[in-house]
Amino acid sequence: MQHFVLEQALNYLIDQGNADLSALNGKTLYFALEDLPINVNFVCTNDRIFVTTDTSAGADVDIKLKSSVFLALFQGEDLTELLRQDKIVIHGDVKTAQLLVDLLQQIDIDFEEVLSKYTGDIVAHQIGKLAKSFKASDNPLEALKDELTTLLIAPTKSKLFKNKDA
Amino acid sequence: MNKTTHFGFKDVATDDKQSLVRGVFDSVASKYDLMNDVLSFGAHRLWKRYTIASSNVKAGDKVLDIAGGTGDLAIEFRKKVGDAGQVVLSDINAAMLDEGRKNLINNGIFGVEFVQLNAQQIPFADNTFDCVSIAFGLRNVTDKDQALKEMHRILKPGGCLLILEFSKTDSEFLKKFYDFYSFSVMPKLGGMIADDEESYQYLAESIRKHPDQETLKSMVLDAGFGFCEYHNLSGGIVALHKGIKV
Ligand SMILES: C[S@@+](CC[C@H](N)C(=O)[O-])C[C@H]1O[C@@H](n2cnc3c(N)ncnc32)[C@H](O)[C@@H]1O
Repeated sequence: MQHFVLEQALNYLIDQGNADLSALNGKTLYFALEDLPINVNFVCTNDRIFVTTDTSAGADVDIKLKSSVFLALFQGEDLTELLRQDKIVIHGDVKTAQLLVDLLQQIDIDFEEVLSKYTGDIVAHQIGKLAKSFKASDNPLEALKDELTTLLIAPTKSKLFKNKDA
Repeated sequence: MNKTTHFGFKDVATDDKQSLVRGVFDSVASKYDLMNDVLSFGAHRLWKRYTIASSNVKAGDKVLDIAGGTGDLAIEFRKKVGDAGQVVLSDINAAMLDEGRKNLINNGIFGVEFVQLNAQQIPFADNTFDCVSIAFGLRNVTDKDQALKEMHRILKPGGCLLILEFSKTDSEFLKKFYDFYSFSVMPKLGGMIADDEESYQYLAESIRKHPDQETLKSMVLDAGFGFCEYHNLSGGIVALHKGIKV
């Protein structure tokens, strides 16, 4: 479910005209965190991005890193610097990787929170997020409806994360 | 020797299945939307909403909705692609397409094209669409592998296939509830509201015969898609499979 949020955020960014995907079109980038069960493919096509956990087809670029490095990257740490320190391993074209990182740095997702769902107190975070989204929204009813939608279509969500903790 | 296939739990000649399926949908067409709301407690609207969001369809895209029935998905796709895009609502059944046409007009949606087609032989050129969807339709198709190959063929490289369909839940509670509901309650409700118990008995049986999540995923990959993943909705009662042509 997390990568669905990521996919939505990326495509929203693209739709708003805030990101130019032309150099990424036709490329697949594999992104793996070494210490968490997160690995996804970013499939860039026709000016949109699909984020998928399926790895049936190979990727053009492979990016491997620890979750702490991932967070550093989004707090503005330089990719080349992290590469120089061997904190990121990239197989394939580094320029393509840089383009995706640029894009990810632009999106407004609290990655720390996303990752904490794999490690920490889910319930507290869910409630915190709900409260935040209600405050941020002009239309709390809509926000509530969206939350309920998530709940209804993915009732096993929390169980999934509990398993990951075990 | 005659080839046979499933029609619900009955085995019937392969050639007969399509016309039997057609009969089912002829008889339920006009009550179809009401039945959907009643039988799924309104949840089919949420499942469809998630499907649309997952499509990442944008202004200017070309979308084909297969087995589109009364056009729920087509309506939302049309809003997304705008005037620069194209949405085709298709179904094998003319009565269903008619209901679709009415439904779209009632919703103030214009500019959608209607095509009567069988998912096994899609009358469009290779690499035409950005997105192809089929919601609660694949389980009715006789040769699913052939249909998936056709969907792959008409998608552009980078295009996305969405299959929304009843699936297998691994929750014992949901399984029991659902069995009781779909075999005991659903046909009765179908009898009461749409006056057609037999058709809803078929629907319940066809759901049980449909391939589970992993099987359908392999079928999608075998049809030529580069990636396929699925998300369980409502605990796996329904699953959305998403295939990407590379
Ligand atoms: C359960 S309805 C789904 C309608 C709509 N997509 C929805 O989600 O509400 C299934 C539809 O599949 C259509 N259908 C059955 N076999 C088909 C085939 N081989 N090719 C295309 N459509 C088919 C039926 O006519 C019917 O309208």
